[in-house]
Amino acid sequence: MFSDIKAGDTTPTHNHSSVRDWIVGDACTIHYTVMEQQHNAQESPTKPSEYDPDINQDELIKAQEKQIAEEIKANTAMIGSLDDLSTLEQEYSNDPVYSGKVKTLLPKYCNVRRTRPDGNCFLRGFIFAYLEYCIHHRDELARFKKYLEGSKEELFEMGFPKFTTEDFHDMFMEVVSDLEGSGSVDRVEAVCNDGGTSDYLVVYLRLLISSHLQKNAEFFSFFIEGGRTVEEFCKQEVEPMYRECDHLHIVALTAAVGVGVRVMYLDRGEGAAVASHDFPEDSTPVIHLLYRPGHYDILYNKA
Amino acid sequence: MSTPARRRLMRDFKRLQQDPPAGVSAAPTENNIMIWNAVIFGPHDTPFEDGTFKLTLEFTEEYPNKPPTVKFVSKMFHPNVYADGGICLDILQNRWSPTYDVAAILTSIQSLLDEPNPNSPANSLAAQLYQENRREYEKRVAAIVEQSWLNFQDEDEGEDMKKDT
Repeated sequence: MFSDIKAGDTTPTHNHSSVRDWIVGDACTIHYTVMEQQHNAQESPTKPSEYDPDINQDELIKAQEKQIAEEIKANTAMIGSLDDLSTLEQEYSNDPVYSGKVKTLLPKYCNVRRTRPDGNCFLRGFIFAYLEYCIHHRDELARFKKYLEGSKEELFEMGFPKFTTEDFHDMFMEVVSDLEGSGSVDRVEAVCNDGGTSDYLVVYLRLLISSHLQKNAEFFSFFIEGGRTVEEFCKQEVEPMYRECDHLHIVALTAAVGVGVRVMYLDRGEGAAVASHDFPEDSTPVIHLLYRPGHYDILYNKA
Repeated sequence: MSTPARRRLMRDFKRLQQDPPAGVSAAPTENNIMIWNAVIFGPHDTPFEDGTFKLTLEFTEEYPNKPPTVKFVSKMFHPNVYADGGICLDILQNRWSPTYDVAAILTSIQSLLDEPNPNSPANSLAAQLYQENRREYEKRVAAIVEQSWLNFQDEDEGEDMKKDT
């Protein structure tokens, strides 16, 4: 199967065969030596020191980020269990501002589901809560499936790479079709906690947001800080995984998918009550999320 | 065992075979799909022309959510390439998108060769020469272009020797 590899048209003829050797792994001794050296270098203890231009700073930063991410991963499920809202009250027993505000949530909400704080919490919370809602509202699931089907072509038109976009789209369709057949909340919980599947859903939602923002770039450009274009904003803040969702992401996603979301803002802001906001404005929310600075969890309405 | 990362890497490889981009090629190593070898040919009409630069791509199970670690194995002289071959390129760090595949990564690195960003230097000498003494910069690049052929020739000789014994 490797013989099919074509080098580009710039291949100088004198080394064509050895280029292929290198690629197909027959001649990877050099490569392995390099890898071993790097490995050994990583194991030796390094003390923090002044900036050294010869050290690959990107690698150091990456390693540290990875360590933090691993710790979060080990401690929290992507979508946690259905907890009583009183657990939230307990969290803030020593904090009069927060505990006072949590009390105002108790008459309306009964449960909370915590999500993993990995920068994908809004999107993961959104898709879990929405698919869970769809389990009980089959007509909505059918509508969503139809929307998803059409969204692929829309993304292609916006210039997203066909080959990879299709991969994320197909996985999403598979999940929705599977829920149509034998959907249960347990199944949604399993899907959203399965690393590969869950992340693919999040990636696709990010593409939908990016597409919606870019399609309406003229409007959204007024809300983007730092002199960036809408496209730059999407490349930096929307499409990469683990990047937190802000107001703008939520406006775009809820408008694109046509799903109402109510966010309850639990913070140190003024007033005794928890501020709330509906996306899109004046919509009827089917999903309720709890916002605490930098993080979103899922809230459950009292029936 | 098939994981999302491995499934996607097989897809990437299939695409590289069916629709190979000009001037780059890559394939997984024989016994580990998470480690790939690649070659980037220096783009025409640039100081890197005719160079055959080897790279390795090391993926984790988090691919495509996170980018692979990409390194030049061939000696490189470029403002955005570290001494250890590591590459300072935004799409391999904070602008990574899961929609990039191996072909996209390699063609981006290929364009980086002639479009360096001297403002975030990984090789300060290369960045300085690129901005202040283009002649000397191109001389140094020419040297690593020649070296890139030698690497392949060494291997050819090594292979021949093996065949002789």
